[in-house]
Amino acid sequence: MTQARRTTSSRSLRGSSEIRLRVGLIVIAMVLSVFGARLLQLQGLDPKAYAARADAEGLVTVPLPAKRGEITDRNGIPLAETVSGVMLVADPVRTRAHADKIAQILATKLDLDYFDLLANLRKTAPAGKPAVRFAYLARRVPSTVANDALAAVEKAGYKGVETRPDPVRTYPAHDVAANLLGFIGADGKPLAGLELAFEKRLAGKDGHETYEVGGGNRIPLGENTEVKPTDGTSLQLTIDRDVQWYAQRVLRTAVENAGAESGTAIALDTKTGGILAFADFPTYDANAPGQAPKADRGSRGLSNVYEPGSVEKVLTTSSLIDANKVSPSTRIKVPSTLPVLDRVIHDWFDHDTLRLTLAGVIAKSSNIGTALAAQQFSHQQLWQYLDRFGLGHRVEIGMPGESRGVLPPADSWSDLSRATISFGQGLSVNALQMATAINAVANGGELVSPSLVQGSATNGAGATVGTDHATRSRVISPEAAAATAQMMEMVTTEGAGTAPGAGIAGYRVAGKTGTAQQVGKACKCYDGSLAVSFAGFAPADDPRFTVYVVIQKPKRGASGGGTAGPVFRKILTYLLQKYAVPPTQTPPARLPVEW
Amino acid sequence: MSALAGPAKALRTSRAAAAVERARLSLVQPRRTPAPRAPFVVLVLAILGAGVVGLLMFNTHMQQTSFYATRLQQQADDLVARQQKLDMELEGLRDPQRLAVAARDLGMVAPGVPAFIRLGDGSRVGSPTVASPEDAVQIKPKPPALPLPLKPKPIYVIVPAPPAAVTTPPPAANTTTTPPAQGAAR
Repeated sequence: MTQARRTTSSRSLRGSSEIRLRVGLIVIAMVLSVFGARLLQLQGLDPKAYAARADAEGLVTVPLPAKRGEITDRNGIPLAETVSGVMLVADPVRTRAHADKIAQILATKLDLDYFDLLANLRKTAPAGKPAVRFAYLARRVPSTVANDALAAVEKAGYKGVETRPDPVRTYPAHDVAANLLGFIGADGKPLAGLELAFEKRLAGKDGHETYEVGGGNRIPLGENTEVKPTDGTSLQLTIDRDVQWYAQRVLRTAVENAGAESGTAIALDTKTGGILAFADFPTYDANAPGQAPKADRGSRGLSNVYEPGSVEKVLTTSSLIDANKVSPSTRIKVPSTLPVLDRVIHDWFDHDTLRLTLAGVIAKSSNIGTALAAQQFSHQQLWQYLDRFGLGHRVEIGMPGESRGVLPPADSWSDLSRATISFGQGLSVNALQMATAINAVANGGELVSPSLVQGSATNGAGATVGTDHATRSRVISPEAAAATAQMMEMVTTEGAGTAPGAGIAGYRVAGKTGTAQQVGKACKCYDGSLAVSFAGFAPADDPRFTVYVVIQKPKRGASGGGTAGPVFRKILTYLLQKYAVPPTQTPPARLPVEW
Repeated sequence: MSALAGPAKALRTSRAAAAVERARLSLVQPRRTPAPRAPFVVLVLAILGAGVVGLLMFNTHMQQTSFYATRLQQQADDLVARQQKLDMELEGLRDPQRLAVAARDLGMVAPGVPAFIRLGDGSRVGSPTVASPEDAVQIKPKPPALPLPLKPKPIYVIVPAPPAAVTTPPPAANTTTTPPAQGAAR
């Protein structure tokens, strides 16, 4: 009996479990179908909106800004560097009530204008627009300073001010090399110079990080994705910051004293073509570019073209010597005037017929003597030499905005153009072209393309430049170059040349003055304005540095020797001293200038 | 042998029968001795409790570490910023312009003529020259020109020449005649 009862009870148990299973199955099926429906709703209908909403819940995405590469001088001293900075932003809806108090704290701590702050803290939207929730208070503030200020605001119990990363680009030496470096606009975009040309290299690539936060702290083991930033690559220049600074100061003094419009001074390492200094005046402070007129922010040395004047005689005579047409002692009878075609060529000083050697023609800077010597060249021959000296070709140092200059094609020349071009009128160059051409004479007749970038770098225009890519080409023979250097020495020799003031006691200095009439913008004719210049190198028998100075449109009685010469001498003196170049202690050139 | 075999066989038969009897399967009363549940439940609860508490502690610890990490990160950021600020200050101090001003204030000028001493034999190279104030380089820009309102055109006052008869007028007379003339010129 008990056995029978047990059997029925076990059977009923078995039956109830089947029911339980079925009920369970139904429940599970119902739950799963609810899940399925929800899944369909979430993933099928509008997944993006839900994803966005989920992201908004506690997920924070922080940009990880890439550090912009430095621009350094040849010794690694930064000329442009980036420090981590922040921007202070306000939510006017929350700050409006206490705007005056917050403005007071921030104005004191950050040295900002109280009323500007007040306006931003109370910023309102025009009627009908949603309320303003964002206003800039200060941009590119060093983060320690900003954090101190923010802490003070929070301590005083006000909310609605916060910081966001905003890297600061600083130029520690202010205006030093500013015309080359360029600057960064308020939006962080480069606007000029090397900053603009090498943007891709310097900028790097920003990264970002997304993570969950709760109460201001990152939730451990929460969602976390990170894309690491790639920092920008730094750019090393051949510029020597100290020489650059000195050149800028000396140039500024000369330009200001002469009442001139502008000026450029370039110092080259003769052997390598590295640009040690490239000074432009007027210039600007790269930390505050907005305060300077737009015209002063580019590099006039590259963009301005002008007629080089007498400095060009060096190129003409060295070419003539190279072609074995003349020698430094060639005797030239220089009349007081020289009629060529319908014009008459004059010298800068009145004289009767002079009996000058070629060295004397260079030393006294005689236009007539040079024009007479150049008559031994056909138009084509002179053009070819000047073309090989790089006139009419861009130098390409990686900077934007370089002008090409004009060397008229030989078939368009008349005898008059050959005469004027031989002494530097009737063609136009930029300052760097002229410095490069003179450097070819200094470098034993071999033209070495100048470089601004140490090593190698590719700019935005796709040009790869730098000292690694400096090209060399022979223009004149070493003998012709040495003979020209000796003639140029006579220019700085007391009693023989036009610029004894440009010489440095104890050194053999080769130089050449230049005073060229310039074509005015308005009349497109020679309007009486001048470009005075001086080019040279030292030591003359083993040149180390080539310096070229040009001062545009001086007002008061300026001359190449008197105005540009002292600038040349000072920069060269500084270079010789800084790079410890002793005098060569060889006897100076003593060429006869007259016969 | 057979006398011995007889009882042995009987014994074997009875043993076999008993074995068969024993081997027959029969329904046995199911043993339902209730296992003591308490220790197991306690064990499971204990494990569960320990797990929950452990997890909680682990989480709390992680959270704590997260706070700590956030604070340290903040501190590191601050220190990096401070270092950069100090670097900036250092660069400011190294600014050639600042150094030049400091050097000028000490009365220093750049040498006009470079000269060297050979350390090997102590000989001089170049012609050492005493620097003069003319060698100084102007390191500050010229002050900007005054705006027009602050730089009025000079006013020329025409003072009537004193009559020849009058010998040197007293200074007082001069001062009284000048102001009206100035006013007229304006």
